Amino acid sequence: MGSLEALIIQIQGLSSSAGDISRLHVILKQSEDSLRAESTRLSAVLNELDPSTHSLGYLYILEACTSAPISKEQATTLVPYIARFISYCVPEQIGVVPDKFISVCKRLKDQVLLLGTPIRGVAPMLTAVRKLQHSSEHLTTLHPEFLLLCLLAKCYKTGLSILEDDISEVDQPRDLFLYCYYGGMICVGQKRFRKALELLHNVVTAPMSTINAIAVEAYKKYIMVSLIHHGQFSTSLPKYTSSVAQRLLKNYCQPYIELATSYSTGKIAELEAYVQTNREQFESDNNSGLVKQVVSSIYKRNIQRLTQTYLTLSLQDIANTVQLNSPKEAEMHVLQMIQDGEIFATINQKDGMVRFLEDPEQYKTCEMIEHIDSSIQRMMALSRKLTTIDEQISCDPLYLAKAGRERQRFDFDDFDTVPQK
Amino acid sequence: MEPEDSPSRPLIDEIHSNGDIEGPSRSKRPIIRSGEQLDVEAYASLYQGRTKIMRLLFIADHCEGNPGMRLEALRMAYEEIKKGENTQLFREVVQKIDPKMGLNYGMDSAWCEMVDRRAEQKKEKLENELNAYRTNLIKESIRMGYNDFGDFYYAHGALGDAFKSYVRTRDYCTTSKHIIHMCMSAILVSIEMGQFTHVTNYVGKAEQSSEALDPITASKLRCAAGLAHLEAKKYKLAARKFLEAGPELASHYNEVIASQDVATYGGLCALASFDRTELKHKVIDNDNFRNFLELVPEVRELINDFYSSHYASCLDYLGNLKANLLLDIHLHDHVESLYDQIRNKALIQYTHPFVSVDLRMMANAFKTSIAGLEKELEALITDNQIQARIDSHNKILYARHADQRNATFQRVLQTGSEFDRDVRSMLLRANLIKHEYNLRASRKL
Amino acid sequence: MDFTPLTEALASKSYEKIADICDNLLLQAAAEGVAYQDQWPYAIHLLGHFYVDDINSARFLWKSIPSEIKESQLELAAAWKIVQKLWTRDYGGVHEAIREFDWSQEVQGFVAAFSELYTKRMFQLLLSAYSTISIQDTALFLGMNEDDATNYVLQQGWDLDPASRMLTVKKQTTVTQQKLDASKLQRLTEYVFHLEH
Repeated sequence: MGSLEALIIQIQGLSSSAGDISRLHVILKQSEDSLRAESTRLSAVLNELDPSTHSLGYLYILEACTSAPISKEQATTLVPYIARFISYCVPEQIGVVPDKFISVCKRLKDQVLLLGTPIRGVAPMLTAVRKLQHSSEHLTTLHPEFLLLCLLAKCYKTGLSILEDDISEVDQPRDLFLYCYYGGMICVGQKRFRKALELLHNVVTAPMSTINAIAVEAYKKYIMVSLIHHGQFSTSLPKYTSSVAQRLLKNYCQPYIELATSYSTGKIAELEAYVQTNREQFESDNNSGLVKQVVSSIYKRNIQRLTQTYLTLSLQDIANTVQLNSPKEAEMHVLQMIQDGEIFATINQKDGMVRFLEDPEQYKTCEMIEHIDSSIQRMMALSRKLTTIDEQISCDPLYLAKAGRERQRFDFDDFDTVPQK
Repeated sequence: MEPEDSPSRPLIDEIHSNGDIEGPSRSKRPIIRSGEQLDVEAYASLYQGRTKIMRLLFIADHCEGNPGMRLEALRMAYEEIKKGENTQLFREVVQKIDPKMGLNYGMDSAWCEMVDRRAEQKKEKLENELNAYRTNLIKESIRMGYNDFGDFYYAHGALGDAFKSYVRTRDYCTTSKHIIHMCMSAILVSIEMGQFTHVTNYVGKAEQSSEALDPITASKLRCAAGLAHLEAKKYKLAARKFLEAGPELASHYNEVIASQDVATYGGLCALASFDRTELKHKVIDNDNFRNFLELVPEVRELINDFYSSHYASCLDYLGNLKANLLLDIHLHDHVESLYDQIRNKALIQYTHPFVSVDLRMMANAFKTSIAGLEKELEALITDNQIQARIDSHNKILYARHADQRNATFQRVLQTGSEFDRDVRSMLLRANLIKHEYNLRASRKL
Repeated sequence: MDFTPLTEALASKSYEKIADICDNLLLQAAAEGVAYQDQWPYAIHLLGHFYVDDINSARFLWKSIPSEIKESQLELAAAWKIVQKLWTRDYGGVHEAIREFDWSQEVQGFVAAFSELYTKRMFQLLLSAYSTISIQDTALFLGMNEDDATNYVLQQGWDLDPASRMLTVKKQTTVTQQKLDASKLQRLTEYVFHLEH
């Protein structure tokens, strides 16, 4: 009662300098339990505080508000408060207790989902992510929450904006799994298959000690995106994949591996038959859309294969080889592939022929030089980074301890300069 | 044309001067005539022993639509079997023979009984002798005892037992001659059984012998090895073996193979698997092998035609020989495959020197339709055996030379983006492992 | 809700920015909890997406629209029809869908701009994909009648064969820049230095 009012006054008073903030932090920590007890009164109290100057206090109170289960009506009132707080809060203050900030944002997500309007959470969550990050390379726990909201609200383009960042610092491994998995799905939705493949590959090859469901689902999608983008799929995983993944992933994804085998024969009828027999399985995995794209990509592969052997070919022959119904259909397929840049060709309607051309890129233009230059710069920056990290690890005491322990000891009395734990 | 040593030249000139490519050229021993039916009697006369019978039976089983040949083969098989002691084979032949052929070629139960009785007696005798030798522990006698058993079983068609008996002699062999004898017997039985892994095994053992082998035995071993490779579809190795066989072989190995066969098998396998230099060096310029090729002039002609790019006539010869080759017990399973390989090599060789090729002319040269030729070429191009592309509109094949500069740039950019992707994933994984490790370490504390 | 950025962009004909502006405004409105759906200019939002050829976003937007609004707003349904034609690559159908609806004053300018852009895009496609093409198909792709289409392409330098009614495409030679300057040398030096160390 009175203590709550007193707390408010303290928040208002101690929010100006960094020293004050730390003292406030201590006080707030001590008052946590009492705040929780008063959760029903708290929303009224929030009006007395300013989310930007009193971010830390505001955060504690918000967190206490949302700690108890929320009903739909309460959610309708709380959501705007949280959203406003996120847009006005000050990163330095919330950076003191990132965990609380994260849990508040998660509650926001839960509440917008409860209300059935995920789109309400998209903009606030994006702001939250940016405020929580130390740098653009930092992956926070909020990243996957944001991507999930984008997926549910169908705001794929907004989701893409965050995926453009290169991640190298991770808080929790679980965040990475979900981030890459949802990220992969968003890229697939926007037809950015190369990036999708990269993200899904990261999930599948991430270090893991036991197999987890996210990796399994990611592998299924990985197989299909690989077929769509590269036209082929190989079951061998790179050496750095964890041993559990190498052994067990295949077992859970049998239908998809068989799909890939059927695809590699190039026989459309067989592929379609296989898809038909396993339709239910694909549907229950929510992968029907991707499967459809796999099937339509096989026409493209077959046409692309033709460009390797033929200089010119009649539309009728193309239709026959690729099992389309008419030369006109073949013409439309080729036209679409030309439009998408998947093939270089010209159609000659007069003779009913298609002439396949080589890639006209001569690598002589200024743009191309710029492109190559910027790629080289990027490579150089990356390799400098790699060297730095290598040096850092070599000096890391934990690493040295482990490496030192595994060194051969020739003499028990040998003076070992490596620190042992 | 490169300046070559003269021996090959007269051969080629001779063919050209013969002029008429279609007609069979005059040769000393026209056994397999192009286009003409196989002369069963002449063919069988090349062989002796069990292989003669088996070959005759094979011909009888596989000459569909030619009842005359079938009768002839069965008749000769019957007579040959009667000269031996294999009642099992006798019964088989009798079953196959049509009663129309007359009483002379019917079931002769009396003969069977007699042979079987004699066999029992002989077997008992051999057993007794062998037991006696074994008790006396005289190595040489025991060896010969087992050998006799081997011969006995072989004559009666019990090939498995024959093989076992021959192999038992190994423990009692004292000289390398003994070992070679054992190996040759084992090889013979293995070939008859169709177990060519044993053949390779024992050829190897024989060739390791400490004493130098006499040329005829060496030739025999090479032929056996060649047969084993042929069976295993290793045509290049088979060709090399057959080509190393010396002319002293003549008809010394006709319980297994005739010199004509060495020429045919070796020639066809070489044509299917050797590249141009090897073909010239090891076949056309090979003096030793020339003696073999003399026996089958069609094969010699078709090899020369291939080398000098007369594909139409080469394929003609092949076509003519096909029916008879299919009747050969060892070559039967490989004819299609060898022919395909030879044809593909011809197609590749034809297109190799040109920048562009008119498909109409090529289809003529290869006696096929343009559509069929396109499909064949498509398969070869996809398989990367021909670097070219087909202009289906104008029916021309264009050689395709990759633009190195563009390809290099493309590769560079691709390598760059792969490096980018891989390093970033690597940094990420390192971060995760460090995290995991920190977590574990902090838990332990 | 404050639609000023949108109205400004429409007025200044910066159509390529419309999609981003709409997206941002929508997310803001949603975050504030405002019930924006009834007032939201979905048709313009859709147009904004397919103006920049982002059919995927257009489809996702459509999926998120409440069904009452889909059924009641005719203009929106007409815009969606265009998206569908674009998605299924019914090249001629796009022109038809544009023409068959009587667009309101607000969107008229926008639709007209899109139509012009689309025709140009189609022309570029024909240039790169065809060496000869029938007059009929050309008219279909360009959304004009056959005479107009023929005149249009003839002006661009194509040839007509009246007997077969076939047009021969004339490729436009593009001039590519190949200038180099001194900064390239600087960069090359940097690269070599990096490789050496």
